[in-house]
Amino acid sequence: MKEKFARWDILFWQYLKRDWKKMIFWILGVGLFSGGFVPAFEEIAKGQGLIGMFETLQNPAMISMVGPTPVETAADYTIGAMYAHEMLLFCGLFAMIMAVLHVIGHTRKEEDLGLTELVRSFQIGRQANSLAAMAEVVVINVLLALFISGLLIVFNVDTFSVQGSLLFGASVGMAGVIGAVIGLVMAQIMPAASSATGSALGIVGLLYIIRAGTDVSNVDLSMFNPLSWTYLTYPFTENNWLPIVFVLIFSIAMVVLAFTLEGGRDMGAGYLPEREGRESAKKSLLSVRGLFIKINKGVIIGWLIGFVVMGAAYGSIYGDMQTFLESNEMMKQMFAQSGFSIEESFTGTIMMVMTGLVSILPIAVVNKLFAEESRLHLSQLHATKVTRGQLYWTTIGLAVFAGLIGILLAAGGLGGTAISVLGDSATIDMGDFFAAGYNFLPSVLFFTGLATLALGWAPKLGKIVYAYLGYSFILNYFGGILDLPDWFSKTAVQSWIPQMPMDSFDAPIFITLTGISIVLLIIGYFGYKRRDMVEGA
Amino acid sequence: MTEIVKLKGLQKKFGNFQALRGVTFTVEAGEVVGFIGPNGAGKSTTIRTLLGIIKRDAGQAEIFGKDVWKESLEIHKRISYVPGDVALWGSLTGGEIIDLFMKLHGGGDKQKRDYLIKRFELDPKKKAKGYSKGNRQKVGLIAALSVDSDLYIFDEPTSGLDPLMEAVFQEEVEKIKEAGKSILLSSHILSEVERLADRVVIIRQGEIIETGTLDELRHLTRSTITLSTEGDVSSMEFVEGVHDFTQKDNQATFSADNQLIHDILEEAIKLGITKFEAVPPTLEDLFMRHYEG
Repeated sequence: MKEKFARWDILFWQYLKRDWKKMIFWILGVGLFSGGFVPAFEEIAKGQGLIGMFETLQNPAMISMVGPTPVETAADYTIGAMYAHEMLLFCGLFAMIMAVLHVIGHTRKEEDLGLTELVRSFQIGRQANSLAAMAEVVVINVLLALFISGLLIVFNVDTFSVQGSLLFGASVGMAGVIGAVIGLVMAQIMPAASSATGSALGIVGLLYIIRAGTDVSNVDLSMFNPLSWTYLTYPFTENNWLPIVFVLIFSIAMVVLAFTLEGGRDMGAGYLPEREGRESAKKSLLSVRGLFIKINKGVIIGWLIGFVVMGAAYGSIYGDMQTFLESNEMMKQMFAQSGFSIEESFTGTIMMVMTGLVSILPIAVVNKLFAEESRLHLSQLHATKVTRGQLYWTTIGLAVFAGLIGILLAAGGLGGTAISVLGDSATIDMGDFFAAGYNFLPSVLFFTGLATLALGWAPKLGKIVYAYLGYSFILNYFGGILDLPDWFSKTAVQSWIPQMPMDSFDAPIFITLTGISIVLLIIGYFGYKRRDMVEGA
Repeated sequence: MTEIVKLKGLQKKFGNFQALRGVTFTVEAGEVVGFIGPNGAGKSTTIRTLLGIIKRDAGQAEIFGKDVWKESLEIHKRISYVPGDVALWGSLTGGEIIDLFMKLHGGGDKQKRDYLIKRFELDPKKKAKGYSKGNRQKVGLIAALSVDSDLYIFDEPTSGLDPLMEAVFQEEVEKIKEAGKSILLSSHILSEVERLADRVVIIRQGEIIETGTLDELRHLTRSTITLSTEGDVSSMEFVEGVHDFTQKDNQATFSADNQLIHDILEEAIKLGITKFEAVPPTLEDLFMRHYEG
């Protein structure tokens, strides 16, 4: 025992000291996300909101996303029931992912970096580090659970019982513990930190998909799924503590498994062999374009899948939209416009929101070029006949292409699902959705242009483009409720563009904004061509 | 001789910091120039300016008679470069990255690549994120040596390599030297520079403080002499040009100014020499003398 865990407490205190800032951000971030939306839900619940939401969330597509509720009639659907129903799964996922990253970062990553080697040369037990990291993550999640429970109690909503609030917090905290033990086990099995993180997050994703299936078909089967143990506690309704017991048993078993596995392996080794890569490159890699596609592929594909899912999610509510939106004053203000069908006005607003999200992708691709530059990945390319123009325009080509496909998938996902749930009653067709989406193309190009302007002249400011995007996003999303002066809402670039299908297409605006964006690209190019490459900064 | 690299009065400022204050030197055709200096002296800045990665503020910088900023692409067709810290894409394998670099340079030799992978004992199937510092450096070296160039620029190319691999690198560089290529070699490993370089350029605080062949530089400094004589050796201590004199029984060790070596030996012969050893100054000695003084 001593040989294994000697002086783990020193490492544990060391971790708390080292991570206290991270811990504060973590607890505040996940905690406020989990407990802070209570006022928004009270707002939604006003009028017929609860009934509308209950109807909407009976849709299998919605259940597969947010999970089930034990409530059977709309009359019993309280704010507490709704809060747990809509929030708990995602809060749990959030806590889980944080814990996975943290545990692997403190165990396997440190091994890969050679830090463990140093630590073990002192009088420290062989497995003391894993125990310390695990203890730290448990402490963090206990604090997180208490913080969330406290927050929910402080809001003092009628249907938020103290027991329910405690259970809600405990469910989120326990989700973190599940994430931590999954991470710890994968850290032993996989050959490196990156593959351990990848596989652990993959398992979490897989659990999510499996529970989507079992939640819709047979909720009893979800009881076998560790991820489901979070929301199956049903806080504020059934207050079922049994899943928490399952989590404890599961976690202890997994920790024992992880420590046994760790005891049986050498430092730096795993149980699965490292996959061999290619001895020589494929033809498709051997160009600037091939290289840039390869290094951006993960991000692009990830976001594109996100766009389809998001489109489909919004699309799935078209069926019950009438009931839902008319039941709620706030929703009505956000999405409904007089003189148009609710589907049309919803499509216009939601396309603006989604193209705002689509804009993230081209900005990320453009910023990637600077990241590559400052990581010294390009120094050897600069010494070849590859021009700066090639690097710049290839990046922009890829960014614009990603934006085009992003809009296609978001609009396609939205339209396809909407039309299938509406059936014969559909008043709009696929063409309307694509038109509404590509109508916002100039705004996507504008954000791309801003990012390239930064890349050319002040590459360190590339991240600020995200801030402006976030600002316009919020302005667009809540603009309808807040009743802002015209000049103020016009500071968000999307506000210049009319919302189709309600409004008609405005060619001069479309062309002018596209033109401005192209000018930004060209100005950025002149800066990129003449500035010093920032290396290692 | 033709000048392959020509720098004249090169200046570069980063904010308020004057990194280069008038760097002047040349690399002739078929010549290996060792470029040495302490950390932060401006070696890498000079090299990055030569590659057109950063833009000079003043002065003249040409490779193959072409301006390094305005005609960088023409130049880059005929040069190879290895930085001191080869950064690689973690998701690609070493083999893939070498192929990519070769393709982007143009004119690579697949057989040479495979030969070098073997010589440097690199595992090309491993993802780059799993490579140690030395292995990343090998990827850069193999890619640079597999293509045909007229000028090779190495910026501390062997950092992180083990002595065996260092020797492999030196052998390969000797081959390209024999083939009449020009090489600019910046290095901290002075024995490497001593073995390969025809000429040495020493930079300090953004200025070139010494250039010349090793012989020329040696002439300016001192050799270490160990001497035993029949007569009393202690009188040697006061001969002009003798420094750091130490004596043990009848044997003396001291350093001698090379310019005054004739007079020193004449004095020694008067005492009757029984044993004589002379060690020429190493580059290390030169380096130390320049940097400390």
